[in-house]
Amino acid sequence: MLKDLLLLTLKGIRYRPMRSWLTIIGIVIGIMLVVIILALSAGTTDAVNKRLQMFGSDLLIILPGKETSIVSGLFGGQKFSFNDIIDLEKISGVKTAMPVDTGTLNADFKGEKKAIFIHSSRWNRLRPIFEESRGAKMANGSWPTDEDANEVVLGYLAANSLFHDKVRVGDEVIVQSKRLRVAGILEKMGEQNDDNSFYMSWSIFHLVSGTKPGAMTAIVKIRSRENIDLVARQIRFQLEQQKEVRDFTILTPAATTEIVGGVLKLVELVLLIIALVSLVVGAVGIMNTMYTSVLERTRQIGVMKAIGASDDAIMSLFLIESGIIGIVGGVLGITLGLLMSYLIGVLVETFGGVILFSFASVDYSALFVIIIITFATGVLSGILPARQASRLEPAEALRYE
Amino acid sequence: MKKSPPLTKQDSVMECRDPVCGMRETDSFVFLEKKFGGISYFFCSEICATRFKTNPKKFSVEPMIHLHDLWKTFRTGSVVTNVLRGVNVHIWKGDFTAIIGASGAGKSTLLNMMGLLDRPTSGGLFLEEKNVADISDEERASFRSKKFGFVFQQYNLIPWLNAYDNATLPLVFSKINDGGQKAKIQSRFKEVGLWERMNHRPSELSGGEQQRVALLRAFANDPEIIIGDEPTGNLDSETGNKILNILIDLNKIEKKTLVIVTHDADIAARADQIITLRDGETIPGHLLHKKTYTG
Repeated sequence: MLKDLLLLTLKGIRYRPMRSWLTIIGIVIGIMLVVIILALSAGTTDAVNKRLQMFGSDLLIILPGKETSIVSGLFGGQKFSFNDIIDLEKISGVKTAMPVDTGTLNADFKGEKKAIFIHSSRWNRLRPIFEESRGAKMANGSWPTDEDANEVVLGYLAANSLFHDKVRVGDEVIVQSKRLRVAGILEKMGEQNDDNSFYMSWSIFHLVSGTKPGAMTAIVKIRSRENIDLVARQIRFQLEQQKEVRDFTILTPAATTEIVGGVLKLVELVLLIIALVSLVVGAVGIMNTMYTSVLERTRQIGVMKAIGASDDAIMSLFLIESGIIGIVGGVLGITLGLLMSYLIGVLVETFGGVILFSFASVDYSALFVIIIITFATGVLSGILPARQASRLEPAEALRYE
Repeated sequence: MKKSPPLTKQDSVMECRDPVCGMRETDSFVFLEKKFGGISYFFCSEICATRFKTNPKKFSVEPMIHLHDLWKTFRTGSVVTNVLRGVNVHIWKGDFTAIIGASGAGKSTLLNMMGLLDRPTSGGLFLEEKNVADISDEERASFRSKKFGFVFQQYNLIPWLNAYDNATLPLVFSKINDGGQKAKIQSRFKEVGLWERMNHRPSELSGGEQQRVALLRAFANDPEIIIGDEPTGNLDSETGNKILNILIDLNKIEKKTLVIVTHDADIAARADQIITLRDGETIPGHLLHKKTYTG
């Protein structure tokens, strides 16, 4: 009998294709969002972790401000003194301590003006840290050695795509009215921010920017086989003695992963809640369609009851229909969700060089659970309208116009 | 005072033994006693006794359907309408009964009661001696599925099913998955000249064709009782006659009990029994008493 009722329902759905599809779309949107979020979240976490590893597992970052307010600390204008950072090298576990100052300045190349991001430190610290821990390689030219020479090193993208013309070694770039010679161009590091930056010596940066000399951040490279957490504690102890920056944060690779991971989880949770709300909206859509359907088919319900349909049979007809709408919405939502995730993955890979999505990393058991959930959502949304239909008195239903 | 054997086992109040009269005993009304086959029966008049005499064998057993002091009341807000007011009706197995009366007299409501499509407000509703007035919805569905076939004025085919699916729909609900029954229905499509139209939806069929499909649907479960609510009301006279002939053939040849509501005096004239309704009550001694039973 179930097979017959199923066939009967399918014929009914085919008779009203437009309404059925519109209701299905309501479910598809919610499920598609859930699938995109699930499919991309794994990829995003992977990409972020890889990016963090790329940054160097032997590096510590020191930032002004408390852990809970790193961003306000960075923009608060507090700076470490150059020497306080250099003094960290006295700690036995520290190999190199690099004070870093950054800023955005105007650069002019062949008359074309751009705002560029600048990293500055001592060349003798910039070079080893970038080469040994960040995987930077010089593509053309060489690292400058003279702190006071009017020279600059460009990241790969800064040289090749920032300006209309490609910048070559030996070219002159004007930064804040100061003519600087391009001494070297780095290979691609994979980090958009680094590849787009200019690298300057400490003294030249403060000369052209006119800012108060000081380290906005510091990167510390620790010696191999040292306990990174222990070194971090020693650095904290020593930095607490200095007077320039009261609150500061030392980010170890593990802490960074944890903070970023936490933020990602939160974002994922918010997106999932939004997706689930849209799924609820879809369920209300099914209920609305089924109620309309009961009203529209009241007379036919009366006829079916007259020719022997029991209350259960009528209820089954409506529940099967709402279940089918749910399950078709689920399957289509999953298919479209995977397709959209794939397209987003391709776009991000093309423009950002990061792999966010692969079919291999999709959790297929979760997709199966989603199909079950959509079927259940469909059936549950159909229960009230189906009950209303099944309880109609045949004579009353037959009188309905 | 001697009394007739009660008409039903549940019924202890004496009624006139006339098969269609239904007059009940009151203090001011004295029944006549007549003996048939050594058993005493009571009648309200000589006319009733004469009708009984035409076929005592048929009328001395329980009727197929018996409505006893049946009331149906509809309430709309504070307005109460008594559509059926203490109706007594006997439908005998194998008879063709026509229900006539003006619009609003309660004909369709009476038919809905007989076909278990609606519940009476009070009174007895007996189907082959079983009181079915208060049975559960599931039992009523089961009775409708096995005992009744319905034909409506508006055809009432399911619009998204083709003619064949419509005609075999009762088999789905009665859980009969019998190839033989389906084959029988298919051959009936040939008999009624709809073989070529089996795969057409109702919207692609004429009124007469739709009503023939509705007839096939009514016969699908081989029911004992066919109930028709003005089955020819929407058809021209020629098509209407064809439909009526199919129904009457079924009644005469296959001995199916046929109950039809009609406005058409010609149709009523072909019936074995006529029940006239006025303002929710049957009219004893009206048209029906002019009718002679042929058995």
